[in-house]
Amino acid sequence: MRLSVAAAISHGRVHRRLGLGPRSRLDLLRNLVTALVRHERIEAPWARADEMRGYAERLIEYAKLGDTNERAMRMANFWLTEKDLIHKLFKVLAPRFQPHPGSYTRLLQIPNRDGLDRAKMAVIELKGNPFPPLICQRRNTEKTLLNQLLKGYREDVQRTAAP
Amino acid sequence: ALVVVFSPLPRLRGLLQRCWGRLERGFLPGFSGGQSPPWGPALALQAPAYLPQPVDDAGESNEAPSLLDSILWMAAPKKRRTIEVNRCRRRNPSKLIKVKRNIDVCPECGNLKQKHVLCGYCYAKVKAETRLIRMEINKKEGGPFNAPTVETVILYDGEKPTEKDEGKRIIERARKRPSWFVQN
Repeated sequence: MRLSVAAAISHGRVHRRLGLGPRSRLDLLRNLVTALVRHERIEAPWARADEMRGYAERLIEYAKLGDTNERAMRMANFWLTEKDLIHKLFKVLAPRFQPHPGSYTRLLQIPNRDGLDRAKMAVIELKGNPFPPLICQRRNTEKTLLNQLLKGYREDVQRTAAP
Repeated sequence: ALVVVFSPLPRLRGLLQRCWGRLERGFLPGFSGGQSPPWGPALALQAPAYLPQPVDDAGESNEAPSLLDSILWMAAPKKRRTIEVNRCRRRNPSKLIKVKRNIDVCPECGNLKQKHVLCGYCYAKVKAETRLIRMEINKKEGGPFNAPTVETVILYDGEKPTEKDEGKRIIERARKRPSWFVQN
């Protein structure tokens, strides 16, 4: 139970405060969402990218409802400031993510910014984008060290168990 | 409809009437004498009705204590901090720089990287290539606000679009395909 409403202490408060105020925060996030839909891979401060991720995924879920849906069109109109991206959203991104149930974006941390502030930066990208992948998946072959050791262990066990 | 409610207290109304009467007779409202005060041309000022008496001795006793007096009330250390106490404060673990144990070697390029962060070298490599691809895309689109309504696929030297790349826009890059960019 809350016994005191200390205004200057922010223990446990989860909501981030970005920009100059609530309207400014929404404008910032709207610019980032527009840029993500346009370029499909964005580099931004980690806090802003994290905040924007939820809004971008909900926008794609609205786009999946279809072009003819009035609410979906109003949402896309508000969130995308460049109006040619509304066509891209409904015609390219909605069919691309139709089979996926959720999580259309990938957020990865990159080394701190080179400038004076050394800010924590992140790269956020839409899955299925045409660019080269950021993390290269290592395929597990027979020749990796771990698999060779496991193979040796399995053979030792069979040799002791057999006779 | 504008309704004006004016109900002053009887005493206030009496005071106002007396002041107004005095004004009409040519007296100052604040003047308590019987003679007519000197009325000459004057500026309309926001001034109190009476002139304050110049008081000299009362002011000096209320003067704020100067810096030389207030030094006697300021906080100051009583004894010199010994080197043992100083060492305890300076070498307390909260003031020491923490040792990072989450640094690894990137399996691709061999540079150092933090475990939860992408490798700087590999990311710079991918960033340079995406920049070149985006320049090609801009050349193809021409002007601003020309986002296509079809998917995009990137082909390098000597590659043909497969049947999966049916209705997609093709971006050509004039170099050999890098080994880390696997074609799907």
